[in-house]
Parts: sequence; C-alpha cells; structure tokens
Amino acid sequence: MARTEWVKASIWMPPSIRGASIHRTVSNTPSSATDEYPRFLLPWVPLPALPLVSSPPSSTMAPVPKAPTETSYDYDLFVIGAGSGGVRASRIAAGHGARVAVAEEGPLGGTCVNVGCVPKKLFSYGSHYRHDFTDAVKYGWVLSGEPPTVDWGVLVANKNAEIERLNGVYGRMLEKAGVTLLRGTAKFVDPHTVEVDGRRVTAATILIAVGGTPFVPSFPGSEHAITSNEAFYLPSLPRRVLLVGGGYISVEFANVFHGYGSEVTQAYRGELFLRGFDKDVRTHLADQMRERGIDLRFNTDVESVVKNDDGSFTATWKGGGTLTVDLVMYATGRNPMTDKLNVDAAGVKRGKGGCVPVDEWSRTNVDHIYAVGDVTDRMALTPVALGEGHCFADTVYGGRPRSPKYDNIPTAVFSHPAIGTVGMTEAEAVAEYGEDGVDVFKSDFKPLRHTLTGRSGEREFMKLLVRRSDDVVVGVHLVQEAAGEMIQLAGVALKAGATKAVFDSTIGVHPTSAEELVTLRTSERAKAAAAAKEAKA
Amino acid sequence: MASTSAFVSIAPVLAKLPLCRASSVLRTSVFTPVRAAPSSRHVRAAPSVPQRGAAQRGANRWATTMAGGGANGSSKYDYDLFVIGAGSGGVRASRIAAGHGARVAVAEEAALGGTCVNVGCVPKKLFSYGSHYSHDFADAAKYGWSVPEMPTVDWPTLIANKNAEILRLNGIYGRMLENAGVELKVGAATLTGPHSVEVNGVAHTAETILVAVGGEPFVPTFPGSEHVITSNEAFFLESLPRRVLIAGGGYIAVEFACIFHGYGSQVTQLYRGDLFLRGFDHDVRTHLAGEMTDRGIDVRFNTDVKAVVKNADGSFTTTLKDGSTVETDVVMFATGRKPKTSELGLEAAGVTTGKSGEIPVDDFSQTNVPSIYAVGDVTDRVALTPVAIAEGHCFADTLFDNNPRSPNYEYIPSAVFSQPAIGTCGLTEEQAVAQFGEDDVDVFKSAFRPLKHTLTQRPGERELMKLIVRRSTDVVVGVHVVQSAAGELIQLAGVALKAGVTKKLFDSTIGVHPTSAEELVTLRQSERAKAEAAAAAEAKKATA
Repeated sequence: MARTEWVKASIWMPPSIRGASIHRTVSNTPSSATDEYPRFLLPWVPLPALPLVSSPPSSTMAPVPKAPTETSYDYDLFVIGAGSGGVRASRIAAGHGARVAVAEEGPLGGTCVNVGCVPKKLFSYGSHYRHDFTDAVKYGWVLSGEPPTVDWGVLVANKNAEIERLNGVYGRMLEKAGVTLLRGTAKFVDPHTVEVDGRRVTAATILIAVGGTPFVPSFPGSEHAITSNEAFYLPSLPRRVLLVGGGYISVEFANVFHGYGSEVTQAYRGELFLRGFDKDVRTHLADQMRERGIDLRFNTDVESVVKNDDGSFTATWKGGGTLTVDLVMYATGRNPMTDKLNVDAAGVKRGKGGCVPVDEWSRTNVDHIYAVGDVTDRMALTPVALGEGHCFADTVYGGRPRSPKYDNIPTAVFSHPAIGTVGMTEAEAVAEYGEDGVDVFKSDFKPLRHTLTGRSGEREFMKLLVRRSDDVVVGVHLVQEAAGEMIQLAGVALKAGATKAVFDSTIGVHPTSAEELVTLRTSERAKAAAAAKEAKA
Repeated sequence: MASTSAFVSIAPVLAKLPLCRASSVLRTSVFTPVRAAPSSRHVRAAPSVPQRGAAQRGANRWATTMAGGGANGSSKYDYDLFVIGAGSGGVRASRIAAGHGARVAVAEEAALGGTCVNVGCVPKKLFSYGSHYSHDFADAAKYGWSVPEMPTVDWPTLIANKNAEILRLNGIYGRMLENAGVELKVGAATLTGPHSVEVNGVAHTAETILVAVGGEPFVPTFPGSEHVITSNEAFFLESLPRRVLIAGGGYIAVEFACIFHGYGSQVTQLYRGDLFLRGFDHDVRTHLAGEMTDRGIDVRFNTDVKAVVKNADGSFTTTLKDGSTVETDVVMFATGRKPKTSELGLEAAGVTTGKSGEIPVDDFSQTNVPSIYAVGDVTDRVALTPVAIAEGHCFADTLFDNNPRSPNYEYIPSAVFSQPAIGTCGLTEEQAVAQFGEDDVDVFKSAFRPLKHTLTQRPGERELMKLIVRRSTDVVVGVHVVQSAAGELIQLAGVALKAGVTKKLFDSTIGVHPTSAEELVTLRQSERAKAEAAAAAEAKKATA
C-alpha cells in the first residue's frame, strides 16, 4: 500500500510552507503496539450494542434503505473522503462483504487526525507547561537560570511525526479491511460515476464524506489571514496573534498561543463567544481567559488587514482603531467541502453553505447517494461522524438498520481551563420546560491545586440543570482542567437517566473538583428565595 | 460564601444539607446498604432506630427557644451532645446537631479538621500535585519547551506553603464551629461514664456522646522501629530525603512512594504480600505496579523489614527478611492505621471495642452503650472523609432532627493519588465473580498509552480502563481506572453506577474526543469474547 507521504499532505499546509520539508521522514515500522492511542479506531468485533444507535426503525422514519443488488459496477460502495466517517463506513461495509473503494486527496484520517482534534489536543497539552513552570515554584521547585523558551519547530515536528503514525494506522486499517484506496480528488461525473484524478470509477452506492474546511469571509486583506489548517504548520511561534471568531476553535487556539507565550487578542463580533454553550460557562471562561492575560474583545470585528514592511500585520477594527500583530488567524466557521465535488452531475441537492442534507439514514435526495460527517452539517464531531458512518454501513450492508441518535452527546473544549458539556443549556432547558420547571445548581471555586499557586484564571465552575417535574438531570456543564474526562462519564450518567437525588446520594471523592457535583445542595432558586427573605427581615 | 468558594474541598464539609438522601431508611428500602455496615464484622446485628428521647427533647427545646424561652436549664446535662474529635465526622455532626437546636460541645486536642485536613487527604494531594512537576519539566521538551537547567527542589518551601494553606483551613473549621454555636474545648477528652467526659481535668456531662477521634498510623515493633517515621511525620520533613524506603502496601504507602519519587528521591517500596493494594481490582494492582516500576520506583513484594539501624552519617540501614539490606535516608512505615481509642476511657463508659481498638456500631452509628455513638475512622467501616461526613450528618439528623437515616455504602467511588492515579467504584472483578459466579460476569478492559504520552514516550504512563458487567442484567457493577485524572473521572462514574447504568448505556454514549475516558464507552469485546475468538482461531489453525 502506498505510504503516507507528507508531500501529499501538503494540501493542508499554507502556500508559504507548502512543499517545505517540515517533516518528511516516513517510518516503515508497523505499529505493533495496538495499545497506542488511538485505540478507539482499532478494529473490533461488531456487537449488537453499537453507539449512536436508535431502536429499530419506526413508522415515522423514512423507509429503510437496502443495498442495491446490481453488480455491474466497479464497486458496491464508493466513499469520497477517508476521514473519520468515511474510513469507518468503508471498513464496516467491507466487513459486511461489500466491495469498497475510498478516495482521498489529502492524508488519511481527515480533519480530526491531521488538522483537528489530535494536533489541537497535542498543542493544548504543550501550552500548559508555561503555567506549570510558574506553579511549580510554589510547590518547592527552584527554576534557576533563564526562563524556559519555546522551540516551535520541535513541537511541529513531533506533532507531525505522531500524525504520520496515525495516518499509517488508518492506511493499515483500510488495507486489512480490504478497502481499495484511490489517491486524488474525486468528483461526480454522473449519479453512479466518480472521477478521481482522471480515472473513472463506477459504484452502486456512493457515500460523500468529504468533511469541511475553514471559512474566511472576504474583506480587504483577507488573503493575509490564516486558518487552523495553517496554524498547525507555522514555522515559528508568533509573538503577537489576533484571533478572529467566537467558536471553540478560536477559543482553543487563543489558549494554545497564549500558553506558549504569544500576546493574544481574540475578537468576536457578538456579545459573548461560544454561542450555543451555557451562558454561565461562556462568561466564566471569558473571565478566566482575561485573568490569564488574553485580550478578549467582543462586539468587535475586523474591517481590513494590511501587511507591513516588517512582515507584521495591522488590523483595523470596524469601529475604528488598529492592532498590529504577527499573525492574523480566522476561525469564523467551517464550510462543507462540496465545491469541487460536482454533485450537480449526480443530482444531489446542496443546502445552506454547501452542506448535503440527508435523512435519518444519512441518505441524500438521490436514493443511492449518502453522506456522513461534517459535510452533512449535523453535528461536526469525530465520534458522531464515526457513528453515522457505522450506522450507514450496518444499515445498507449489514442488514441491521440503525440511525444515529443525537441526544445527550458529551463534548469538550480544550481551553484552559477546559469546558465539558452534555445535555441542555440553562436557556434550552428553560425554553423547553419553563422557568418554573428547571432548577439550577452551580458552584464557582478556586481548586485545591491553585490555593497554593494563587494563579488567577484558574477558577472552576460546575453546573447542573434539573427538570423539577421528575428530578432528572438534563444538563451538566463544567469548566475544569479535566473536564473532557469528566464529561464523558457525566454523559453516561445522563444516558442512565440520573436524577439529582442520585447525584446527591453519590459519596464524594475527596479531594477532587468533581465532588462539587455531588454536593450541590442549594438551587439558585432557593438561594434567591433565602436572599429575598433576608432582605425583607 | 467567600470562604466556601475559595476551596472546593471544604464544600462538602460546609454543605448545610445532608450527604445522605433526604429520605428515611425506614421509608424506603433503597437505602438499605447492600455491602454495608451490617455485613461488617464490627457491626452489631439487627440495628433498630435509636431511642430518640434526646432528639425529641432537642427538637422541643429548639421550638421553645424559638418561642422566646431560654434553652438552658431544661436538661440535667451540660450538653445535649458532646463530640470527641473535631475532624471531618465530628465537625459535621456538631454543626448539624447544633443547627437542629442541640447544645453541642466538641473537644479536640490537636488542630481542627482532623486527619484529612492536617495529615491526610489535603496535604497528600498538595504533595502529589507538586511531585508531578518533575515529569512536566521533562515532558515539556517534546512539546517544544527548552528548560535550561533541570529544576531543583527546595523542600522547606513546599512544607511552608502547605502549612500556610492548612492553617487557613484550620481557621475555616474554627469559624464554622463558632458560627454554628458549637463550644470548642481544646484538650484531650476522656470518657468517664455513659454521659460524662473529662477535658483538661474539667468534667462535662452530656445526654449523648459522639466518639469521632479517628485513627493514627500503626507501626509494628521490631529492632529499630523507633527510627521509622509515618505519614504524620512525612508531612513535616525538614528536607527531601535522597533515598527513601517505604514499607507497606496500602494506598498511603503507594501515594508517598510516588510523591517522593516525583520530587526526585530514590524510592524503594516493599510489601510483605504478593502484590500491593489489597482489596483493589487485581488488574489495577498489577497495572499500577508495572507503571511505578517503569517510572523507576523499586517496588518489591514478598519481603518485609526485619530491623533498622541508624548509621553514623544519619542514614538508616534496613535489613530485610531475606537478609539483604537497603540504605536510605528515611524509613517510612505505612503499614496500616488503627483507631485512636487506647486512652479514651471507653472501658469506664462500658463501650466495647474490637480487635484493633475500633468501636463497633450499628447502622445508626450507635455503640453498645445507648448514649454513646461513634463515626468515622474510629469505627473502621470505610475510612474515607466523605464517608465520615455522611455518617456524622446522618447521626445528627437521626438524633436531633427526628429524621432517622443511615449512610449507604454501596458504590462509593474513591481515588488513589498515585501516578497515574487510580479511580475505583463498585465491585472488583474478584468480588463480582464471588458474588455472581464467573458465568454471570463479563469483563471489559483496555490498557493503552494516552495521547499526551505518544509524544513524550515516557515510561510509566500507560492507562487502564476496566468495566465489570453482570451478564444477566447488563448492569455495570464496577468501574476501575488508572489515569491521571482518575479522581475526577471516577466521581462521575459513581453517579452513573448509582443510577444503575448498564453496559448498553455506556455503549450508547458518544465518545468525547480525544480523551482517555472515551475508552470506557468504546469497550466492545469482553475478555470472554476475546478468549473465545482466540480459541476459535486456534482451532481453525489446528484443523488447517
């Protein structure tokens, strides 16, 4: 099988460094360690209980799709895109006996592995250390001599090596599953024909799993702005960074650059970043980031960017005023990557922003063409794409119709501190059950570790939303350094229908931050009532 | 609430409402402990709800007080409740009882807050935090950082900062008692009868007495045993020992081995049994032993200390059972804790004690003497701070709020702050097999190198995730993890287990990517299925 070459991977790199030899060593060593990360990708024996699975199809759903019996095509299934969803669908379909090919123009693994979750988390880990060096002093460590410095090239090279290992893992997974890999950009020729770099291939069923790509609006100087794609391959750490955007990617990068020592300004045109997250979480994180020294500017947008003679950039705000930085990064949203696909040739309709609308079986308006993952504009999360791809393959090729479920999906933002969230926000719960139908429990505190360091920007936050009619916890929201790990299990508890009484009956683990969640005794309603009573007296 | 928000760990202590469910054990059988106190050897059979004369009077008195009458003089005792020991359990019981209107005094001979605050959970966790940084300095290099000189340790700074923090917590405890109207008697208390106590030569009487004196480290006697320190002293060492020998296989020994190692000491841990951390899941024990060894801790099992000799240079030479010797600068014993009951005057009051001095109690924490109760480590039930707090709270509600309740010991999550840390909740594999039979237990597990350490490749950082499932019901009866954030993670796993979560529900939960915890929701193949698949493949190979 063709090895993953970073020459090809350069599709992710910015023009300035494309082709540059940042990291081109290709290791031939097979990953004998099946216990290395990412174990969640490794083949397993499919069992009846799969994730994201609803009960058998109900009458309200679209008719269950079946695999076409036509065998005159080159393949039973042609998958466009070897990211999380595409690879999972390919492997599972092949496991069910289908003849499968997958086309990929970039490195294997898609956004998650190459320019998403994985490198982002690595950068996030790395950006913690600056605080560790400071905090360690209060714990008795003596750092003499010069303060630690950053060699950005080392970080990027090590990150690239790890990702290349993962690319290899993906390649071997496809190979083992008997999936044919076609390197190149795929586009539709007709409903059953796809062309990959000039080569035409036919298939009974086609799955679109091309994912998304960062979107930068057009404005004077927008060509100077980089996106997260390029941020993962920067040749050096910028001294000053302007981040534009209020989504989680923008927030994560603000924390990454700040942690590595850049002077960071994050601008967002709305009133408060992280729209869609619980309001308390948003304000809490904004406070912590400001305390750490990140310059957050809301209700602020960029009018233009000019490149200066010294290589720096000066951004002019819409309301006037300027800011000079060494890097302007836009994280203002992502668009489905359907532009080059020529879906019109297949009669596939596109929706807002170029996404491909699908039904609960991930089927497009064309019966034999499906789509999973970020391109469908459902929930742009790796594990969701995996679930969608798996459900698709089981439905069409496994004789086990199943469709994804999107309730109580736990997610994390790897900010400092991190966010963990599952279920409804307070606003959603109030909208659904009315203000009288929701009890809010919350706590905001300085964690034990930082009673010693005294470092600001480390306060944590825990919040439970309880449906009063039946005491069921309908939302958990955390700001805590291990929020990602915690919220995973909170997700399990919510799936199990945990009530507030169950939370309260759980003995605390001492001393942890999480024990706050089982010792939240007084609701905000009760606190307000007590305060009102006191004010009266 | 400024003080409460300053430090999370105090929150459960400060909480004004019960840790135990706001329903009575009498009303619903849900609260009957399954693996609970009654099954313990320490507990007298057939507990009944205590005669709540005191409680009733307490409640009535409260009513009288509210009506404008004085509280004093209506009882023949000085106090409604006299608590011996101002640790986690004693303080909680005092405050809640006082809140219910009882006249309460608490005696404490040492610093407020007991073991947890002074020589337990809190300083231990701080030391644990501090001991991580050496790895951070090393790991940072792979993430692009250059640390010009390897940092050194100034141990007195750690001790001073830790002491300052604990002093702050002592103050919080003092103010909590004061605000609750609890009288604090500073000094060692001795029981002189079922209703009488003496502190510093002053006699006090009380309708009810609560013994909450806790426990202390136990060191066996052997030649040179006077040279060894315990965890009590370890928190106040003047300098970081270059070489440390730790004897014992419990979680305290394990935690200190990791702490000293993290701060740069050369650590030998020895335990006389086959494998440390008895009572924990076997896979967890072997996994952690492997990781600690990989980190460079010299972990030795099936060995024991015969004698310790102090050398002229101040170091110690320890002779082991096999005749070999180990030379270190500190010898620390963490070979168990025993209840602090020897000088309590329990005999005078007629309170019986168990083999190690523990006080047996019933579900309602009542001893064999009806007016005397005991909570926390002194009862040797589950020696954990939150459990002592729950016991103290339940006791106070039962006696002084006419609301009988007893702690539920099922699915108590707990953590060991080793490196990596352990989180555990529910049954171990061995317990599950014993309880349900091998055919009714499915085991799912995964050991792996976490994402963070794919870059560092540092040994001793592999993690473990394990689920124990009862096959007949699909209910998850045990969760065991070895992971850097295991303490935080297992707290939520505890909630899920309390909610009766099934394996299917774990599987239906979407992963949080990329985390270690997502392993727990993507464990597809049981050990049984793996073995069957391997056997089938083997059989196929044989026929081919």
